Amino acid sequence: MKAYLVKRALSLFITFLVVMSAIFFLARSGADPFAEFIESDPRIPPEAVERLRHRFGLDKPLWQQYLDFMVSMFQGEFGYSVTFRRPVFDVIMVRLPWTLMLLTTSIVISTIGAVFLGAYAAWNRGKKIDLIGTNISLFVRALPHFWLGMVFLLVFGYYYRLFPLYGVKTSGIEYANVFEQVKDLLWHLTLPLATLIIRQIGMYTLYMRGETLEVLGEDFITTAKAKGLSDRTVLFRHAVRTSLLPMVTVTALRFGFMVNGAILTETVFSLPGTGRLIYQAITSGDFFLLQGAFFITSITVLIANLVADILYSHLDPRVRY
Amino acid sequence: MALKRRLTDWRNRLVSSAFIFRHNRAGVIGLVIVLFFISMAIFAPFIAPFNPYERIDRSLLPPGGVYLLGTNDMGQDIFSELIWGARVSLSIGFTVALVVMFIGTTVGVVAGYTGGLVDEVLMRFADIILVLPSIPLMILIAAIMGRHNFYVMILALSVVGWGGLARMVRAVTLSLKERTFVEAARALGASGGHIMAKHILPNTAPLILSSVIYQAVGAMMAEAGLAFLGLGDPTAKSWGMMLHYAQTAGGWWGANGNPMWNWIIPPGLCIALVVLGLMLVGQAVEEIVNPRLRRRR
Repeated sequence: MKAYLVKRALSLFITFLVVMSAIFFLARSGADPFAEFIESDPRIPPEAVERLRHRFGLDKPLWQQYLDFMVSMFQGEFGYSVTFRRPVFDVIMVRLPWTLMLLTTSIVISTIGAVFLGAYAAWNRGKKIDLIGTNISLFVRALPHFWLGMVFLLVFGYYYRLFPLYGVKTSGIEYANVFEQVKDLLWHLTLPLATLIIRQIGMYTLYMRGETLEVLGEDFITTAKAKGLSDRTVLFRHAVRTSLLPMVTVTALRFGFMVNGAILTETVFSLPGTGRLIYQAITSGDFFLLQGAFFITSITVLIANLVADILYSHLDPRVRY
Repeated sequence: MALKRRLTDWRNRLVSSAFIFRHNRAGVIGLVIVLFFISMAIFAPFIAPFNPYERIDRSLLPPGGVYLLGTNDMGQDIFSELIWGARVSLSIGFTVALVVMFIGTTVGVVAGYTGGLVDEVLMRFADIILVLPSIPLMILIAAIMGRHNFYVMILALSVVGWGGLARMVRAVTLSLKERTFVEAARALGASGGHIMAKHILPNTAPLILSSVIYQAVGAMMAEAGLAFLGLGDPTAKSWGMMLHYAQTAGGWWGANGNPMWNWIIPPGLCIALVVLGLMLVGQAVEEIVNPRLRRRR
């Protein structure tokens, strides 16, 4: 068990090193942001540019830069963002909470929703409610979710004026208390969260339904029914518990997809998150920012995978490594 | 003689498959939707009333009248854009599906059959592709290529798409290579390449065929997202690209401060319909390929 996890962690670590190396060389093959943003600025004297280049090691040979980069990443030293004119770490830290909040909230709510709906559909397999449910979730999966966000914005933002059109807080507002602040935040995040949650429920309800169907065919379910347990107990105590296992793995794998979701949703609703930041970093060629953003993203995704492995082995007594 | 027998064999299989397909009502509906959009793409020049790349009137006109869905910020007819958009979206979707099928199958069969270090390295790459979020990776590829055109889009979408299929094909190959017919071929002195091409590949075909439709779905969705972020080819406007312009160039404020539903709704609806159609067809094909699904209904 321990040996397996160590091996798994090691393999993820190697994956991580490969990813970061790839990002480093990919980022450097683009344009030089110092030339674009700082040297072209007439207010900055050439000596200062040289000093900056020296300070961030850009005057060293590429292999030296690469080694420095790999070491400094692990010290939390991500370099300097030329577009924001601030250290990359600060830029990311200001925006990370928004994205994390958006992602964790939507993952938690949609997982609970998908588990209940999927189990319910499986229990009523073949009945009308099941058919309606599976068809709706098929249709939801076909919708591009950023477009779903645009439709929500159009209908609930513009036509009915129920929700704000952009951002995470009402501009120029002074909150009387924390309660007011949270209320304002939730009001702003309702549509983005709804977009992400509906999309994910659509994706994972069918999955949960399939898993539950599989479990419902097992002998221990027949036994539980034969013992005279109520339907609710059979479904939730016996079936759902077992079919939750694969959902754990899927939830971890979702983090990768969720980064995509964050980029698109943050674009549609003009939210100040990291998803949007990655996009800006790439299109402006700000490679320190790009490396930093990719570092945070890939490490989150990889840790989520590791956590899923550990959870899985704890939850499933059949799994022995 | 052998060829003739094989041809009749294929025909019989096709007929029986078509029979199963026809009895899947959802699959038939899906096929009709997909065919509708394919003909829209093929006959775009005849259906579209105007040239979608040409300024024909004032910009941001409301829908109705000569311009069924109004005009965009450049004074181009949105309805014509929509019809021509089918060409771009569908051709990117299907091309990427084919490329992904080729890469995924090759990598999967080679990794599964060869094993050892080759397998280890190829699967490590597949894992990286699967684990990393695809949109940043695609933006990065597009940024490095320096231009945004059809081929760069195909490249970016294919690079991020092959991982899942490769893993699936590898798993099937692993079980196939233990079968007796492969062992027999090896005992007769067949080379690795011959066995992979003649014995293993044909047996993975059903799996690949049903997955290629889902690959097209994935590619179309990813293309829409990428184009929405502004990374599409401006000389070949897809539906995603139209949404990008609607988002950034006037869809939300229009000519008099009102959002233009006629610009925001139709492109997304088209994407959703094509994807829905493809998914329904995919389910029907899966049923043909995997008889277990048929009985479980």
